[in-house]
Amino acid sequence: MELLGMYPTWYDPTLGSGWVLGVIAVIHVLASHTSVGAALVFAWLATVAYRRQRPELLEYVRRYGVVLLVFSYVLGSITGPGIWFSATVASPRGISALIHSYVWVWATEWVFFVGEVVGIYALVYLANKVDQKTHLNLVRFFAIASWATMLIIVGILSFMMWPGQPAWYDQGGTLNGFYGPYTFGQVITRTAFMLMCAAVVGGIVASRIADADFRNEMARKLAVLGIVAAVVAFLGLQWTLGTLPEHAREVMAVRLPAWFVTSLWATFGGIIAYFALTFLVPRVLSPWLSVAAAVAVMVFGIWPEETARESMRKPWVAGQYVYSNQVIGRDVPALGVQSDLPALQARGMLASHPFVPEGLRQVTAANQAEAGHALALIYCSNCHNLGASGIRPLGNLTAGMDEAGLAGFISGALATGAMPHMPHMPMSDAEAGALAHFLKR
Amino acid sequence: MDLATLEALRSPAGVPSHPLIFLGLGVLTWALHIIAVYVVVGGGLLSLYGLMQRGHDHWQRLSAMLLDHAKIGVSIAIVVGVAPLLFVQVIYDPFWYVSNVLSARWAIGFIVFLLLGYWALWLHYGQVRRAGGSASPSWLIVALLLILLVGFIMHVLSMQMLSPQEWLNWYAPGGHIDASGSHIHDYSLPRWLFIVGLAVPVGGAWLMACRQYLAGRDGEDAGYLAFLGALGRKLALWGGLVSLVMLAAWMASLPAAAAGFALSPWTLAVAATLMLLALLTWKAPDGAGYYMPVLALLAALALGALREAYRYAVLHGGFGYDFMNYKIVMDWYSTILFFATFLVVGGIPLAFMLSLSWQAGRSRGVYTASPLIAKLGVASVVVALLWVVQYFAFGAFVLVR
Repeated sequence: MELLGMYPTWYDPTLGSGWVLGVIAVIHVLASHTSVGAALVFAWLATVAYRRQRPELLEYVRRYGVVLLVFSYVLGSITGPGIWFSATVASPRGISALIHSYVWVWATEWVFFVGEVVGIYALVYLANKVDQKTHLNLVRFFAIASWATMLIIVGILSFMMWPGQPAWYDQGGTLNGFYGPYTFGQVITRTAFMLMCAAVVGGIVASRIADADFRNEMARKLAVLGIVAAVVAFLGLQWTLGTLPEHAREVMAVRLPAWFVTSLWATFGGIIAYFALTFLVPRVLSPWLSVAAAVAVMVFGIWPEETARESMRKPWVAGQYVYSNQVIGRDVPALGVQSDLPALQARGMLASHPFVPEGLRQVTAANQAEAGHALALIYCSNCHNLGASGIRPLGNLTAGMDEAGLAGFISGALATGAMPHMPHMPMSDAEAGALAHFLKR
Repeated sequence: MDLATLEALRSPAGVPSHPLIFLGLGVLTWALHIIAVYVVVGGGLLSLYGLMQRGHDHWQRLSAMLLDHAKIGVSIAIVVGVAPLLFVQVIYDPFWYVSNVLSARWAIGFIVFLLLGYWALWLHYGQVRRAGGSASPSWLIVALLLILLVGFIMHVLSMQMLSPQEWLNWYAPGGHIDASGSHIHDYSLPRWLFIVGLAVPVGGAWLMACRQYLAGRDGEDAGYLAFLGALGRKLALWGGLVSLVMLAAWMASLPAAAAGFALSPWTLAVAATLMLLALLTWKAPDGAGYYMPVLALLAALALGALREAYRYAVLHGGFGYDFMNYKIVMDWYSTILFFATFLVVGGIPLAFMLSLSWQAGRSRGVYTASPLIAKLGVASVVVALLWVVQYFAFGAFVLVR
């Protein structure tokens, strides 16, 4: 019998595979955004340092470079592949879809990444050891290479949410998938956000400057940069949100909590207040305050942003053709990709999945709970905890239904694809019954 | 797992260029990655040993130098290692993904252990900067153990790829699904020890190159140079010979179905390049030190090719899976984009930064770039800017057409 290309499932009942991926991604975003933003700041400061003969600015760049090496580059360069690893185990077909369409683009990013890593070492080790013009070219290349990594990943992430052009499904092509109405809005938003991150983390280095006047000058410079960057990022975000497809806005409205917009404004206000404080009273800048601000950006800025982004693309995980649960839910004629749904409607999941044990391929009275467990792992566990705790727990979500009612809901709403923010999950009545039996056991 | 199912697990999106290109780039980048790993492991172990030789100036100096190399080597190993990780999942996606999911906690652990290992190395580096030769070796030991552990995890993930017939048993032992991803299912100690053990001869070759680099500096300590040369030769020779024995042990441990692989040209090529590395490093004049890492790279390339040939032999010979017949959905834009970026935007700036670092490292005081290096510096900025221009130009073209 022909089997579908479904992979085994990894299920972590405590965090859930999605959250493992989310935690790694949030750490990576802070580290990588800070690195890219700092690279741009370095180019600015080094230019000023050489033009106005301000060696202390160069020393600040060098010290900031060391901090980046120890924290951002270690964290960023390891959590970058970490996202791949966690996406691989959480969503193998999703990452596969991205990799197989964008391998060369990712490899292009890798070239810049190599340049970035060699660049940061050269920049730190060669400060004050090579002539000014050459060092400046080094810093400028480092800045452009760092920014280029962001430009590339924006396109890949955009594709992950929606292929840039609807024509991509019929015509294919990297360009059609890569560039969309929201690409440049994201470029502006992320660039400004990166500069803001760099201004926050730069405070850690500035607060350690011994000379009080220079420390105050740097605190104010970073504060101005941070405020301008935060405002541009906020405006850029509004622009980007305005370019999103209607479906994305509907899903956001359904899935995000009511306080989300308020929290966005509160975070923006908090950032502005922090920078206003360090501008007006620069002596308050301390390593701990800066670290606290960086953690706050991660928890109140990046985490909600990532959550919103992940919510918008639901129920898809890649290119609006691979569902979160790994099922291919639509055809992509340009690539010869065919939806799994007809096969699932004809045979059911248990009979079509290569990693279902033989004893579970047919639902029987004896194996009903175990077959239901297998179905819950395959269809549900990417987004839901299968018990009564953790992330979006099915135990709580189905608490008001008895087993028969739940089986009816599965057959009527989920198996027919009637819920727009949930994947279409074809199941036979026997499978729906087994899933309900497992969830209500 | 039959061939039809293995092929069903492939991405239906196909690959955007001929699969052989991904294989070739995978071998090349893996070889570069493993050389960096050897600098970390070999250099780290020597640094540890040197640190313990209290009162021995040459060992203490060597320890500090190799610690610096190991610290940078981890960065290089990580960044270069991303590429073979990318390419393997393009042509061997069914195998790589299943292997990772089956040991998911270890795959995630890889990230955590690597992070902790790298930070432990930085902590040790900080201690050495403060306390010099009297620094405690504890964090260095922790770092090395964690780095060896992540190497072992990567080895396990590679090994599990080769046994599709076991996958369902591993995932659902006794017919009951275990989705915890908490188990390690397969490994080969002879193979892992052979690959890790190569850090010793490669470390010797590395020392020979370091010796020659330092010899170019004015007023360098001749005693230290002689110490480096003697140690490098000894490590390359004895490490090389032991590695040959370990290669034989690995080959002897192959399953019966793959036993014929032991005398394949791929295996013989690895043995030959290893002997070349050991004997030339042992006998070559001091002035040939720079050639030794090149020989090490040759051995690493042969090993990379051997790994791929073995994978192909097992998966094609045993299951009929042939990555060469992966569906190609040619994408010219991204293919050209990568190779142009790789050669131009990668080549020029790397030539600039490496030659600049090389020259500056050998100079006393401020180094003024030679006209050629200065031009490379300008060219690096220009080609990177041109790349950004094409990014926005293509974006604008797509959006307005």
